[in-house]
Amino acid sequence: MTPLGAATRAPADRSRATAWMLGGAGALAALAIWTVLSHVLATGGGVINRLPDPLIVARELLRYAVTDLGRDLLFSLRVFAIGWLLGAVCATLLGLALGRVQTLGDIVLPIVEAIRPVSSIAWVPLSIVWFGFGLTSKVFLVALAVFLVVIVYAVDGSRRVPADLARTATMLGMNGWQRFRSLILPGTLAEVLIGSRVSLMAGWGTVIVAELVAADFGLGAHLIAVEQSYNVPAVIATMICFGFTGYVMNAAFSRLERSLMPWRRDDVGRLE
Amino acid sequence: MSAPASAFARRIVLPALGVIIAVAVWEATVQGYRLPAIVLPTPDAVVAALVELAGTRAFWRDVGVSLYEFIAGYALGTIAGIAVGALMGESRRFRMMATPVVESLRFIVPFAWIPLTILWFGTSFTGKILLVAYAVFFVMVVSTARAIAHVEPTLSRVGTMLGMGRWRLAWQVHLRAAAPTIASAARAAAAIGWIAVVAAEYIGASAGLGLMITNAATSLATPVVIAGMIVIGVIGAGVSALIGWLSRARLDYR
Repeated sequence: MTPLGAATRAPADRSRATAWMLGGAGALAALAIWTVLSHVLATGGGVINRLPDPLIVARELLRYAVTDLGRDLLFSLRVFAIGWLLGAVCATLLGLALGRVQTLGDIVLPIVEAIRPVSSIAWVPLSIVWFGFGLTSKVFLVALAVFLVVIVYAVDGSRRVPADLARTATMLGMNGWQRFRSLILPGTLAEVLIGSRVSLMAGWGTVIVAELVAADFGLGAHLIAVEQSYNVPAVIATMICFGFTGYVMNAAFSRLERSLMPWRRDDVGRLE
Repeated sequence: MSAPASAFARRIVLPALGVIIAVAVWEATVQGYRLPAIVLPTPDAVVAALVELAGTRAFWRDVGVSLYEFIAGYALGTIAGIAVGALMGESRRFRMMATPVVESLRFIVPFAWIPLTILWFGTSFTGKILLVAYAVFFVMVVSTARAIAHVEPTLSRVGTMLGMGRWRLAWQVHLRAAAPTIASAARAAAAIGWIAVVAAEYIGASAGLGLMITNAATSLATPVVIAGMIVIGVIGAGVSALIGWLSRARLDYR
């Protein structure tokens, strides 16, 4: 697919080694800049109140990891998983209906389009009024975030049946149900899978905001608690936990997507 | 039914029918279950709240503050993002060096930075401007780098053949070839940046639309909350439509 793909094995290995070395150098340089900055800012740093050096943050991360991280992570992930499943399933079902039944789509899709620019984040205060501070309000927000992304992919996938496949189906004398099962449904699910990956970050970001605004447990609740006690190292350590979790989810899902749909190898979300 | 009439039905009549049904269901839910306005106000209560908001100075101040934070951060983030992204696209070596740093920061979504920006910058505009810049920056870096690295190699070869130097090639060929992709990224970044402003204002702000709707929520003024959400949505859609239009007019030659 890429021009690099045509190269032979040996240069590819060498270029990978270079990438590792340069990447390592870049990461080290970033850490060095961070360390220097933390010392400069410690002695009269102007607007930035305090920047702890990487070692202090690492120590804090370790301390958090052996204490409450497991509990908080589990809590946040539970909210995320329930909301994400709920949102994706609803979006798939509704997307199929709206995509295939044209009149229904014409009536309902404009409303969906009108709601879409109101990001799920804007629903946070309303969701608290409706569902309070518990699990339900966060699940609702995550489901909404995921729904608003996946519905687009579901409608698109259900409509975009390749013309030659449709003709083949007609030629084979497929009835409506057979067409749906072997033509429309797989196409839709393939798009939904992509939409689900795209929505991962929207959903995870919504978990963060929802927990920052109102939560008892979870990574976001921890983040806001350490922020209120002015514990900058713990704030940065928690941010790293958020980033790492997001990264792992994205990587796992990209891998799943590649193995389920090897023919779409080219547009998995990566830098190169 | 003739073709224009059916197009009219599909574009105007059915969507209008959808809106009417939605409003009717909304109204019927409120009436049928006798929901108090705190839980779900009627559509006309929301419209009334919108009209009342539009008459107050405080509302326009909130809109102005949020827009100011957004525009300043967006400009900063887009320019920096395109610059770094272009460097990453042009130089393989720089790309390899920067990738781990960009990739690891990229996954710390802007929302996770909100508490830290409050500790560093208080509830000032600076924190929010930098937050928006951060949000926009990574969208722009990733797509600019990818777009420039994937510019049709023939174009570069033609440029080299015409005797262009590295900088001219980068500026006059690669950046222009990548412009449509950068334009669509700029549009996506606008939506993300706008919502980052709102989220930041929930958690620590002295003015802004995010603060306005959280305050309304704590005082259980649900009509104002929904009116605020509508304003946030309309501004968000307007901003990305404007940026989409501008970038299509200026950058997209396809």
